[in-house]
Amino acid sequence: MGKPTVGIFGLTGCAGDQLAILNCEDELLDLVSFIDIRDFLMGSSGNDTGCALDVALVEGAVLTNRDAETLRAIRKRSGLLVALGTCAVWGGVAALDRNADRARLLEEIYGETGHGYDSLAARALHELVKVDLRITGCPIEKDQFLAAIAGLLNGDLPVYPDYALCTECRMRENNCLLIERGEVCCGPLTVAGCHARCPELRIACIGCRGPLDDGNPNSMLEMLEKKGIGRRQVEDKLRTFAPIGGGQ
Amino acid sequence: MSTIVIDHLARVEGHGGITVELEGDAVKNVRFDVFEGARLLEGLVRGRRYDEIAPVLSRICAICSSAHCLTSLKATENAFAVEVSPQTEILRELLLRGESIESHALHLFFLAVPDYLDRPSAIAVAAEHPAAVMLGLRLKKLGNLIQETIGGRAIHPVNAVPGGFGKVPGVDQLIAVRGALIEAMPDAEAMLDLIASLPAADFCHSDTCFAALHSPNSDRYYAGDELMVVSNGDRAIVPAASYRSLTNEKAIPHSHAKHSTFRGKPFMVGSLARLTVNPKRLTERSATAPERLKLSIPSDNPMDNNKAQAVELVNDLGLALDMVERLIHDGVKDEGCVPVTPRAGTGVGVTEAPRGLLVHSYTYDEQGCVVSADVITPTAMNAASLEQHLRKTVEQSPDRDQAALKKKLQMIARAYDPCISCSVHLIRK
Repeated sequence: MGKPTVGIFGLTGCAGDQLAILNCEDELLDLVSFIDIRDFLMGSSGNDTGCALDVALVEGAVLTNRDAETLRAIRKRSGLLVALGTCAVWGGVAALDRNADRARLLEEIYGETGHGYDSLAARALHELVKVDLRITGCPIEKDQFLAAIAGLLNGDLPVYPDYALCTECRMRENNCLLIERGEVCCGPLTVAGCHARCPELRIACIGCRGPLDDGNPNSMLEMLEKKGIGRRQVEDKLRTFAPIGGGQ
Repeated sequence: MSTIVIDHLARVEGHGGITVELEGDAVKNVRFDVFEGARLLEGLVRGRRYDEIAPVLSRICAICSSAHCLTSLKATENAFAVEVSPQTEILRELLLRGESIESHALHLFFLAVPDYLDRPSAIAVAAEHPAAVMLGLRLKKLGNLIQETIGGRAIHPVNAVPGGFGKVPGVDQLIAVRGALIEAMPDAEAMLDLIASLPAADFCHSDTCFAALHSPNSDRYYAGDELMVVSNGDRAIVPAASYRSLTNEKAIPHSHAKHSTFRGKPFMVGSLARLTVNPKRLTERSATAPERLKLSIPSDNPMDNNKAQAVELVNDLGLALDMVERLIHDGVKDEGCVPVTPRAGTGVGVTEAPRGLLVHSYTYDEQGCVVSADVITPTAMNAASLEQHLRKTVEQSPDRDQAALKKKLQMIARAYDPCISCSVHLIRK
């Protein structure tokens, strides 16, 4: 069997997940010897934009009609579609207020010219097409990306942590920012996988990996309310990268 | 009328294209089209607390995320009159060096060099010149090591916060960075040799106006609040707080990036602009680099921005090493953040991102929540200048062969190292 054919795509976002792939400096040349990257606009000017792909890696959220068309076309030509990063999995920062009045914002930012822009409220990939694997994170973690590629090469999909970030944080023996310092730390509601990078640096988790499936936001809201932190502030923070409570 | 259309630029960050309209031999219209979706992040952060702003707005762009994060912090600290410690200033400067090293290595080896060798990608280059690509990867990795050590992560740093850092790096970590920098010095030389060996890219000449953060005594990406514009030997100073006189932008239908002009003239920002504005920028270690690359300043060839990046890459390695040695010598103190007390007012932060000047400006209410936010990115500032150089490229090409012209146009666009996700984020009226 030949090498699996792969496409790497970016919808609207910061290109951070494609950059995270390019940041696998030690693995990159090996990686391209195992897979056949046929379509990767950010990395190559010689792409086959129509061929069938075994795997499509897609980062970014859907913010324009053009994004939606691109995504549907990718789905059609791909065996497996992988959502790469928090924007693709959850909508990400562009979805932090999906009820915002976009027409008004466009006019404020671009003046009358803004009226003609192709601009939709941010959506995650699964809201438009079937997604076969989700690699969350803002950006994705290198080890989880490489595990996915290794898994795909061996015909299975990787299993990622489904527990709260607090588990990793406790394993690193950090002091709890939420209980001991009364900070709005999103750890209890955020899915693990980053080895508690921020609390390790004494910085409260901002939930950039997206929510846990079975988190309990109400108990966190109540607990922080008792410490004098308003519901609104906590809800805002929890909503920065994904809708509160997940729901996929 | 005929047109030349590049509908989706490859090997750049983000989504953009180029359209040239010709009438006979005359160039009628040139457009750098930006169709990246508008995320409206500056609008969406309104009402958010000051400590949530940098993490959201760093997400404007991954390749410049450290610069966005630090420019954001600078604007917020400026609004609240917070003075950070000298140690914080050095660590932030070092973080931006790390980002610049990573970004320049990525741009040169993965985005720009394949054109000079007539290959579609760095992967294709690696098939014949594996050592060259591995050299680029090592330099890129070194930039990321610095960003991880200071910022806590290579993309979207987490450790830099209002008032300082969550946790300062330990001496053992800095010693590891020092070792990596010393080891990289021969790579820097090899990189210069490689760039010097590339075929000349000489097909566009134009009087160009340049703008950069002005550093009279030293070479900085982070510190400093004065901008300088250089045009035909004239120099004009613009204080950071008056940035709008430089970025007097206007929205245009074909692009989600507004266009900037200074006194009616487009201007270029980035490596070539920095070397032009700050002639004393280079240290002894890198002083001969321009000559080795046949780069003379000021330059009227926008392709020289690639050479300027190579010069900066060598210079940045040296300066990063000096900073790390100073930190190791003086010892890093776990000093904690300086207190941040919100107040109503406006603050401006200006830094040099890898691809040029970056401005963040916020107005806060007395609780420290955002009332309005402006972000002006280097790619947005460069858009008008890029269109001017695309036009010159067509006008100065005697041969109107489409394939050859398309290649030249793409090389000019790439030389600007555009970051199109960035360019979409612009000022409010």
